[in-house]
Amino acid sequence: MRVTQSMLSSNMLRNLNTSYNKMAKYQEQLNSGKVINRPSDNPVVAVKGMGYRVDLDKNEQYQRNMGQAHSWLDSTDEALGQAGSVLIRVKELIVQAASDTNTSDDREKINQEITQIKQHLQDLANTRVGENYIFSGTNTNSPLFKADGTIQSSTDLTGLKKPIEVNVFDGIKMQINTEVVDLFNDIDTFMGELEDLLTSGATGKEIGDKLGVNSTDGTNQTILGLDSLTENVLAKRAEVGAKQNRVELMENRLQLQEVNVTKLMSKNEDTDYAKTITEMATAESIHQASLSVGAKIIQQTLVDFIR
Amino acid sequence: MRSTFMGLEASKRGLFTQQSALYTTGHNISNANTLGYSRQRVNMETTPGFPSPGLNTGKSAGHIGTGVQAHSVQRIRDEFVDRQYRQETNKLGYWQSTTQSISQMEDIMSEPSEFGINQAFTEFWKSMEDVVADPKDTAARQVMISKGQSLAESFNYMDTQLKQIQGNIGNEINVVTSEVNSLLKQIADINKQVQAIEPNGYMPNDLYDARDVLLDKLNDIIPVSISYEKSGGAALAIAEGSMTITFKPADGSPAIDLVKGKDFATIQTTDTADKAIDGNVDDPLTNSYFEFGEISINGIGGATAKVNYDQLESSKGKLAALIDAFGHSGGQGIYPEMLSKLDELASTFIEKFNNIHMSGSIDGTGNAAFDLNGNPGEAFFTGTTARDMKVVDGIRPEDLAVSDTPHEEGNNKNIRELAKLQSTVIGELQGGTFQTFYKSLIGELGVKGQQAATLEYNSTTIRLQIENNRASHNSVSLDEEMTNMITFQQAYNANARMITVIDETLDKIINGMGRAGL
Repeated sequence: MRVTQSMLSSNMLRNLNTSYNKMAKYQEQLNSGKVINRPSDNPVVAVKGMGYRVDLDKNEQYQRNMGQAHSWLDSTDEALGQAGSVLIRVKELIVQAASDTNTSDDREKINQEITQIKQHLQDLANTRVGENYIFSGTNTNSPLFKADGTIQSSTDLTGLKKPIEVNVFDGIKMQINTEVVDLFNDIDTFMGELEDLLTSGATGKEIGDKLGVNSTDGTNQTILGLDSLTENVLAKRAEVGAKQNRVELMENRLQLQEVNVTKLMSKNEDTDYAKTITEMATAESIHQASLSVGAKIIQQTLVDFIR
Repeated sequence: MRSTFMGLEASKRGLFTQQSALYTTGHNISNANTLGYSRQRVNMETTPGFPSPGLNTGKSAGHIGTGVQAHSVQRIRDEFVDRQYRQETNKLGYWQSTTQSISQMEDIMSEPSEFGINQAFTEFWKSMEDVVADPKDTAARQVMISKGQSLAESFNYMDTQLKQIQGNIGNEINVVTSEVNSLLKQIADINKQVQAIEPNGYMPNDLYDARDVLLDKLNDIIPVSISYEKSGGAALAIAEGSMTITFKPADGSPAIDLVKGKDFATIQTTDTADKAIDGNVDDPLTNSYFEFGEISINGIGGATAKVNYDQLESSKGKLAALIDAFGHSGGQGIYPEMLSKLDELASTFIEKFNNIHMSGSIDGTGNAAFDLNGNPGEAFFTGTTARDMKVVDGIRPEDLAVSDTPHEEGNNKNIRELAKLQSTVIGELQGGTFQTFYKSLIGELGVKGQQAATLEYNSTTIRLQIENNRASHNSVSLDEEMTNMITFQQAYNANARMITVIDETLDKIINGMGRAGL
């Protein structure tokens, strides 16, 4: 094949151009830290990358939702815990009141404490997280006990017993409030009856009988259930505890997923620096070689030798 | 009986012929870097021998040579390689232009990235999840409205930008069409000159070269076939004649002459409304363009022809690539397809989102969406396309229908439905979610872009190969020309010496003979 100067020079230019292209690509990969910069570089990597980004953003959001779940469940647990210990104090006071050694003056004092405790329990039922009353179902603007001390009714507030749920993962939701309307209602009724009993002037024996303190079999007991109320509070606390556990498990899962997705995303689109720098160095030396060879080839023609 | 001065004549011819060859060498060297130049050589041939036959011719040994003459000057060119080169140029023109169209689209869509529609969707979803966590928080609700606006604006931006590029492509179609017309005219002009020169027995080599360069350029834009028509008169057998350029419709319809002799056709690329495609907005209401309709050809001798999309050879020539990008045949083409997919995505999202926001169910048949004041939810987005998608003007944070029951400010049932929409499979969108549908658009674009880039690279490589092949035939080698220069110079010198020798012999006869004894 006949080869001319113009072929040599155009070939040289083409080779230089190719090696510049290569170096530009490596440089872009090194500068941006990504192996692709547009979908056509590698459609599969691009589309996967878009998916991973969505996964990561979702993960971040779910973790944020977890914070909300935590604060609601913690507040619920706290409130129920306090209610439980207050009920124990009520038990002590009942036993004390059932004793005939107390005068009516003493019972008056016990009653005063009972009234305060009743108030406190209502306050507990009106616990708030931020601007939200957490025991009022979806009617989070309304306290469970109104200012006059009466409880809200489901006919006024349609959402009183409704669950509030947040999403903790794709398709997985978790109820963050706890339905305790009936429980607080029962406690409040009990406390009201207790007050009435204490102010009725009944004797210690009568009080003991009606409250079932004196006998174990419950004969003569007319005011039911301090013990069952305490049990119910405990049961609710157990429910909240289980939810807290679930939140923690979910949180761990989300953190694990975050690590995994980040790793996959990095593997998918991040530049392998060691490899790329090596390739860059190779491309550079090839480029230098073609430059020096090119300069030598084109230097001389026959003109230089004809005299 | 031979002539006394025959030798002088023969050597004089030698001088002139070698001189012509030397000049041609000079021409070659001068044009070593001229685009499309083919090296030329002087075809030398011997002049008729002596004596010529005849009744009265004396008997002598013959033929004695009478010297040399330059028969013709010819360019060195391989028509077969030229043909290959043009075929590959067709493909390269197509893929180069397609790669560019797609890469511009990729620039606008800018995926994968931390901005763009995909991210806007995710951000909007996140803002909804924040409302889920705290349904009556005005700040969270306000953020959700803003994120909704930014999603709508992302769609608006894509639509505007894609249409702008589409307009630029329309404009390029216009430019390329005029370029074709200019090339056809120039080729016809050269034909005219060739027709004037060839009958005189000359070879217009430089005109041939210029014509071939124009033909290469034309083939970059549209694939054409060529044939030659010999000139009459004393035209040499090796003269190429005038070039006839024809366009062969891909469906086998009769070929259309674009250039024939000094006549040429003009073409116009028109849209479906029979108006020239010029890149100006055709429908200001939707800011869109009418798609490609046909190429109308004002042919030679008043003949007219129309070439529609199906008659264009696929994947050949820049014009076809531009038309493929610009749009043709009822919404086909790279840009119209992407635009309509975006419209589809936007309109489906607007519809489904509004359904849930207004009724609590995706098909719009419910009554479970209420705002903070206990009123039923109203539309959140307006519009039906990517262009006019917009969050309803004046929507306030309390207007978001977050609850499924009136007057339950902590109820987040409906906002959860809205947030769920993002990951809901929608039958209308090829059974994907909004984001996977969009992702598949990007994937498809990427695959198309990759294919175009690969084919462009392949065509470039093949064409380079062919270009080298062609250069191997016709490009000027300076070393070769130097060698020729020496050859012709020495031959010239030798001819001159020959004349001196003959002069000396004549001197002997004229001045030296018949002077015996003087």
